[in-house]
Amino acid sequence: MPQVRINGEVVVNFDGSSPNLLQFLEQQQQAVNYQCREGFCGACRCKLLNGQVSYLQEPLAFVRRGEFLPCCSIPKTDIELEIPK
Amino acid sequence: MAYTTFNRNINDQLKEPMFFGNAVNVSRYDQQKYPIFEKLIEKQLSFFWRPEEIDVSKDRIDFQQLPEHEKHIFISNLKYQTLLDSVQGRSPNVALLPIVSIPELETWIETWAFSETIHSRSYTHIIRNISAEPHKIFDDIMLNERILERAVDVTRYYDDLIDGINLYQRCGEGTHQINGKSEQITLRELKKRLYLCLMSVNVLEAIRFYVSFACSFAFAERELMEGNAKIIRLIARDEALHLTGTQHMLNILASGDDDPEMAEIAKECEEESYAIFMRAAEQEKDWAAYLFKDGSMIGLNKDILCQYVEFITNSRMQAVGLKPRFATTQNPIPWINTWLVSDNVQVAPQESEISSYLVGQIDNEVDTADFGDFDL
Repeated sequence: MPQVRINGEVVVNFDGSSPNLLQFLEQQQQAVNYQCREGFCGACRCKLLNGQVSYLQEPLAFVRRGEFLPCCSIPKTDIELEIPK
Repeated sequence: MAYTTFNRNINDQLKEPMFFGNAVNVSRYDQQKYPIFEKLIEKQLSFFWRPEEIDVSKDRIDFQQLPEHEKHIFISNLKYQTLLDSVQGRSPNVALLPIVSIPELETWIETWAFSETIHSRSYTHIIRNISAEPHKIFDDIMLNERILERAVDVTRYYDDLIDGINLYQRCGEGTHQINGKSEQITLRELKKRLYLCLMSVNVLEAIRFYVSFACSFAFAERELMEGNAKIIRLIARDEALHLTGTQHMLNILASGDDDPEMAEIAKECEEESYAIFMRAAEQEKDWAAYLFKDGSMIGLNKDILCQYVEFITNSRMQAVGLKPRFATTQNPIPWINTWLVSDNVQVAPQESEISSYLVGQIDNEVDTADFGDFDL
């Protein structure tokens, strides 16, 4: 079960009860910006500081190196992410 | 070099830059330099909708019962959106098609502009329904100073680019005597105009639409003007995709991978890019003040809307590699996001209210009154 470290503080196991990382973050009461929830708008962009995610569907939005879209991905390894403020 | 609709040069389209290379000859997609643009085309096509599919008849009753200051908010937003989509339905074609050099991007531009024409037609659909005199609303767009003020900034970067392209394609680089006036153009200057034009389009689709969107959804939260909100929701979904398209173009240009000179130009244009964003944000805040001049609406007022403009401006700036300039970090109207979620979640086909099921559908509602003239 991959571990998710959020903003350098909280560490939670990704137990598979959420279909993607955006819903997972919302369950952890983290405020993440979102719009389309299917990878084409890019509003939910977060920083991926460590680890890897795998995409459930390839995002259409522009994703810079070091960023990822939580709405259409799940952790592949333990990850460390930062939600932009 | 002069534009030709079918360039006879045998070229490797994979080696062309996005813009200002050889004009496109064969529209082929078996090989692609930037496959993302074809993916955007496919997504846009899967979004296809027609305004007539959405029933706006209940909105007529709602509208008649709105207080005057809310009528002003509703109508003014529609007028402003009509202006924006009038520009967007034609300008990407006029400005970008003569200079684009790869087929998948050319087709994306056409697909993008086409979807804007659907938006324009949907405003007529909405306005015809709520008003017995739709011409008065449309006629005012060309007379309303608040709208014309923004039209200047919305269109000037397009016009500068188109003007430069005309001169360049007719006469080439250099100083030319045109109608007794001396005019100068260089390819580098054109590239700069292109970059700023794309930035301004990005701002149009990223920020300018959203004040209107917020008001439409605020009405619908009160179960008012829901047909309109359904249409605006489809428009917002399209705009989010278009925005992704321009963000890709800007980011590819700024990276210099496509054309090294473009990376320099992107750096040179950084200050003006900030200025384009900040000017648009200020104008949208002024617009919010104009909307609410006679009174606020439940759930929204000028201050909240201004904070939303700041929030969204920050987030859009970051998407194109600029730093946020406003202190606002929280979305003041988080409920808007539920209206912006893509509408393709399948619930049940019989739920005709889900607009994704309405493509090619007819009204299935049957009432006992429909059998009134039946004789057995």
